Amino acid sequence: MFGNNRLPAFHPGLTQSRIRDTTTGSGLWFPGLRSPPLPSESDPANDQLPLPITQEDLYDTPMAPFNPYTYIRCPCSELNPYTKRTPDVTAQGLSRAAQDDDDHTFDPRAARSNYSLYPLEYLSFCEDCHQIRCPRCVAEEIVCYYCPNCLFEVPSSNIRSEGSRCTRSCFQCPICIGPLAVNHVETPPDPNQLLSPDHASSSHSGSYILSCSYCNWSSTEIGIKFDKPNSIHMQLAKLRNGGETRLTAKERKERRKEQASQGGGGGSSTGQGEEDLDTLLDMETQFANLKSFYQNQLSDANGTGKVGGDPSAALGNLGFDAPASLSRIMSLYTGSSSLHDKKSKSRPGTMREALAPSEGLQLASLDESSAITALQDFESTTGLDAYSSTASTSQLQSQAPYLGASPLHGLTRFTSSLRPIPYLLRTKRSKRCPQCRHIISKPESKVTTTRFRIRLIAGNYIPTITIKQLIIPGLTPPPMPNLPPDTIEPLKPAQFVLTFKNPIFESVRVTLATPATTPGRFPAKVTILCPQFDIDSNTDVWEEALKDNNATSSSSQSQNLSSSTGPEGSGPGGRKRAGTLRPGTAGGASLAGEELGPEVGKVWERGRNWTSIVIEVIPASLVQTAKRDGRGPIKEDEDVLEIPMFVRIEWEAEAPEDEIMPGLSSAKGGNKDGGKEKRELAYWCVLGLGRVARTL
Amino acid sequence: MSASLPHRSVANIRGAAPTSSSRSGSSHRERESSSHRDRGDRDRERGDRDYSGTSTPARPIPTFNTPSSLRAEEELIVVDFGTRKIQVGFAGDSAPRGIVWFGPEQQRRIGDFRDWQTDYHQDWRSKAAGGNWGRDYELWRPDVRGLELGQVGDKVEKAVREAYTKYMLIDSRPRRMVCVVPTGLPIPLLSAALDSLFHRFQPPTVSLLSSPVAVAVAAGVRSALVVDLGWNETIVTSVYEYREVATKRTVRGGRRLTEETHRFLAKELGHVQRDNRDDKQEYVLSFEECHDIANRLVWCKPFKAEKTPKSLPPQPATPEGEGLATVEESDEDKPTITITTTTTTTAGEKPLPPPPKVTTIPLRSGRSPTSVEVTFDQLSEPCENTFFDSQYSLSSFDDHEIPVHLLVYRALLQLPLDVRALCMSRIIFSGGGTTVLGLRKRIFDEVCHIVQERGWDPVYGKAKEQLRTNPKLKKRHGRHQTTNNSNSSSNNNNNSNNTLTTPGGVSPPTAASGAAGEGGTAAPASGQEEDGIWHDAANSVPEFDPIEAQLARTNPASNGRKPLQGQLRAIESLGPWAGGSLTTHLKVSTVSTIDKDQWTQHGVTGATVRQADVEAKTQQRLSWNAMNRGGREGKEPWTLGVWGAA
Repeated sequence: MFGNNRLPAFHPGLTQSRIRDTTTGSGLWFPGLRSPPLPSESDPANDQLPLPITQEDLYDTPMAPFNPYTYIRCPCSELNPYTKRTPDVTAQGLSRAAQDDDDHTFDPRAARSNYSLYPLEYLSFCEDCHQIRCPRCVAEEIVCYYCPNCLFEVPSSNIRSEGSRCTRSCFQCPICIGPLAVNHVETPPDPNQLLSPDHASSSHSGSYILSCSYCNWSSTEIGIKFDKPNSIHMQLAKLRNGGETRLTAKERKERRKEQASQGGGGGSSTGQGEEDLDTLLDMETQFANLKSFYQNQLSDANGTGKVGGDPSAALGNLGFDAPASLSRIMSLYTGSSSLHDKKSKSRPGTMREALAPSEGLQLASLDESSAITALQDFESTTGLDAYSSTASTSQLQSQAPYLGASPLHGLTRFTSSLRPIPYLLRTKRSKRCPQCRHIISKPESKVTTTRFRIRLIAGNYIPTITIKQLIIPGLTPPPMPNLPPDTIEPLKPAQFVLTFKNPIFESVRVTLATPATTPGRFPAKVTILCPQFDIDSNTDVWEEALKDNNATSSSSQSQNLSSSTGPEGSGPGGRKRAGTLRPGTAGGASLAGEELGPEVGKVWERGRNWTSIVIEVIPASLVQTAKRDGRGPIKEDEDVLEIPMFVRIEWEAEAPEDEIMPGLSSAKGGNKDGGKEKRELAYWCVLGLGRVARTL
Repeated sequence: MSASLPHRSVANIRGAAPTSSSRSGSSHRERESSSHRDRGDRDRERGDRDYSGTSTPARPIPTFNTPSSLRAEEELIVVDFGTRKIQVGFAGDSAPRGIVWFGPEQQRRIGDFRDWQTDYHQDWRSKAAGGNWGRDYELWRPDVRGLELGQVGDKVEKAVREAYTKYMLIDSRPRRMVCVVPTGLPIPLLSAALDSLFHRFQPPTVSLLSSPVAVAVAAGVRSALVVDLGWNETIVTSVYEYREVATKRTVRGGRRLTEETHRFLAKELGHVQRDNRDDKQEYVLSFEECHDIANRLVWCKPFKAEKTPKSLPPQPATPEGEGLATVEESDEDKPTITITTTTTTTAGEKPLPPPPKVTTIPLRSGRSPTSVEVTFDQLSEPCENTFFDSQYSLSSFDDHEIPVHLLVYRALLQLPLDVRALCMSRIIFSGGGTTVLGLRKRIFDEVCHIVQERGWDPVYGKAKEQLRTNPKLKKRHGRHQTTNNSNSSSNNNNNSNNTLTTPGGVSPPTAASGAAGEGGTAAPASGQEEDGIWHDAANSVPEFDPIEAQLARTNPASNGRKPLQGQLRAIESLGPWAGGSLTTHLKVSTVSTIDKDQWTQHGVTGATVRQADVEAKTQQRLSWNAMNRGGREGKEPWTLGVWGAA
């Protein structure tokens, strides 16, 4: 791609910092850190984002250097069918959003627009509908499930039964979410065993731990050790913090069955019913008990069992007796538990409430004084800070729901009660257009390959927009001395060069429109000097590449593509000032035009498959406006000059073969030149030009 | 170019009955050929025809659903909407698969990674400007004025999408959804959320389930007093036989707690906070940090009879002689009495160890990173101020900011006798505020205390005490009698109403409320001596109730174990999400099941309040907010149930 080294030849006045920010091949760059979207942007100058920030900067000029960016608004957000239902809803004040949408131009500052704006790299393109598709408006299908840590594929049947986390030995550190490794610990030899002759065969129980290599956390801190180095997930499920074992749901069910068979019938169930109410159920058990209780009640109340009332049977059949469970199953499968029957079944009184822990009733143990004293005495007992003994909110939020916890609503408080987080599984997804159902993106189904079989990304279909500030040494007034770098001076015209680069093999006509003043609190006057222009096609890429590199070898496709444009794309720069290309403008005049700056209605610069135009903005004064309108101080990002721009692209494409059939083809404009079809695409985009200085 | 998918539910495909025209056509053809065939052949033919008649028109457009959509139909998705987070999971699971918290990161543009920038979090100030401190962390506020409803929809969509892709790992096939929604949710918000769900996720139906009822279901009870210590407000809802019968609310909730924590920390940092709680407040710490500290360290002091905590300067209550005298004042007057009651009630309480325990809290979001050292006594201050404000007298609060314990008491007090008897022994605490250590016990004890002091009598205070104790007041006896009479007569009216209007035996007979008084082993036992009114009612001979007798006969299980009532008791619930999961798993229908097509056509305005839904007897007995379960006749008119209609 174009190297940055060429730019100073054309803009000798550009400072180095401006080059860093603005001149890259397809130059999308967003506030904040992210890896460059295209390899061409990986020049080292781009990577110096986090500049050393002084203390003063932190609070007053908050942000890191600004990089101009382009966001594209997916058209799908315009047509929410529900908010368009204006007439009757208006009275309720429900349709404010709909009214706003209809007439006004797009406001990038509106609260909602953040949800519909995407960088170009995130957008796909449906070739059949000729429409941009954003992550919100594609239908997804799952190709495979895998664990991001061990990269094992998980069959989809396991997802439903085992949950959406890795059930092998992949865990994240509960403190720092780093990956945990299974380590063998040498248990310090027991002195008694040392004395004994066969101390070599000392028990290996509990001799594996999970440990984090980043923050040195290990599972010994929560008192958990494992017997085996594999299938940690299963072992962990049976252990409470502190090493106490716990019954899993399946074991509990079996145990209950045993009890039932031992006790036999009514006797056992009444015995269970009068179990002491203080039994602490963990959440999983309580849920299971409740579920079975309700199912029993529903089936009993259904009248299958005991309307006539053999009391002993009714009392005894709390799910352990064959006929009742049979009837329950029958009622489940015969559909008698459908919605309508529920009403007749759940006549009050016939379905009672849970009365015992075995039925899911759990008395609250409100006494939390032990936890309080633990919190208070933490420092005195352990010498550590009580504050750091508690888990932070983010640590708690990243915990997997632990069903083994006894209520207190599953929330833990101390770091000692955190548990290793099994890795969430991930998916590979293929995407379809929701309308024509064509596949937009389909990855390889193997977990470890990153290739895609199909991937229609929007960057291959719609022009990219690159922004850089235009500074002509003779013409642009020098910036105010006390201006922070990389900011735009308020109340003074600033000019920006927008470079549109055409990715498709047809030449494209672009029409731009923008509101005269930007919407929002700090309106800036915007003028597009050349709102309509053409971009040449992208066909001769190989030829130019060959010429540039003086390469001798040529690939196969290059030959047939390169014939179309001869003289224009030649020259090492491959780009020319618009003046030289414009008919009727002499070469000398073009030089003069350079001196004079951009002209209205004229393209600024043009190259092989790109065209630059100039946009002029006069930003409002932030400070004065903020003082005047009384809407408080300047909020985050309100000082960024963002311009909504409506882009309309027209091109003539070869109609796909199945559409050349007579009668079918004229869907989008005339069918001329034998299979040429006129296409257009229109969308809003947002240009982030720069920060406006908070001076004046 | 709407994004709507041509999805059809399986029920539609199956149920696509042959249209009358096709049927008549086939029969016509049959008639033509009938002469050549015997009857058996014709029957077979008709069967074939009918089969093709159902199936062929059902698939003219190639539906792009794979047959596996059959399986997807089974997966019901339960979404529990909270102010700070949504919980999403499959019906039948015991816990949600994913909990998505709302936060500013979600509201950023995609591809905007400034969150990862070093020191970005130092910059919360510019975000918090203009009264936005912490607003980004909420899905909605009950005050919908000036709220961008579309943004609420966007937030819902983004959160549900995150739950789908990150936690549940499901594709975008349409699935039926069940939304567990707080009852008091304003219709615009509900409508925005539903709009977003229907538009983006295309569920065939969305059912609405009220969260207090779901909480009760997840506790295994039919009636409960659900104390939802939520984010925006604390809501006390009485659920009786799976119906919400009364709701009371106060602004004392999680947000207030966070703000109080901020105020406390700011004070510790030496910032003088103006005491007005408006938006102009200057924030010195970030919301995140305050919330974190509130979650970690703030705790609640156990109940003590002398209401003024030592750390606070004892403030005088409202001046004497203004309005009703309050309980605190009588405390001050007769300290001996209160002390004795205290020792009896809080005998189990361990006195806190005397030396003040100190902890160090690092604060990073201030102007310069620092740390403050506070005692644990001080750390209970925010909780104290948020939920109790016990330095003020109970009569000095506005209706919207009643302390939580008083709110619970009033909610119970307002209930009819029999409902109260059931609800008071099924108090369920839910919501985020339950994580404050000791808060639940404190509220519970405070309520016990109030009940002990006042009984179930709305009239209280000095005047009443004087009336009761002063022998010189001759009128006392007579007046007592009259109140008694009126009260009991009203009770009787109530009872007769019940028995008359609920032939189905919807409510347990009033005899239960008698048991309420007698069975009260805990707090209300002592209330009997002070307050005569309901005591007398309880002593009256219970009427014979044929319905109860019949119930006892048909349901012998209830004979042995009478549901406990009349005794203050707290029980544990698995929370609204689990309740939704349970009800959905058990295929219990909800009142409000919204069909996608209907919503697409009419939106929220299509919802009707069907009079048939709200049974007449229910209307009489429970004057408002009657939650109607079942009784859906046909699909055509649909309702939003408790949430009303636009």
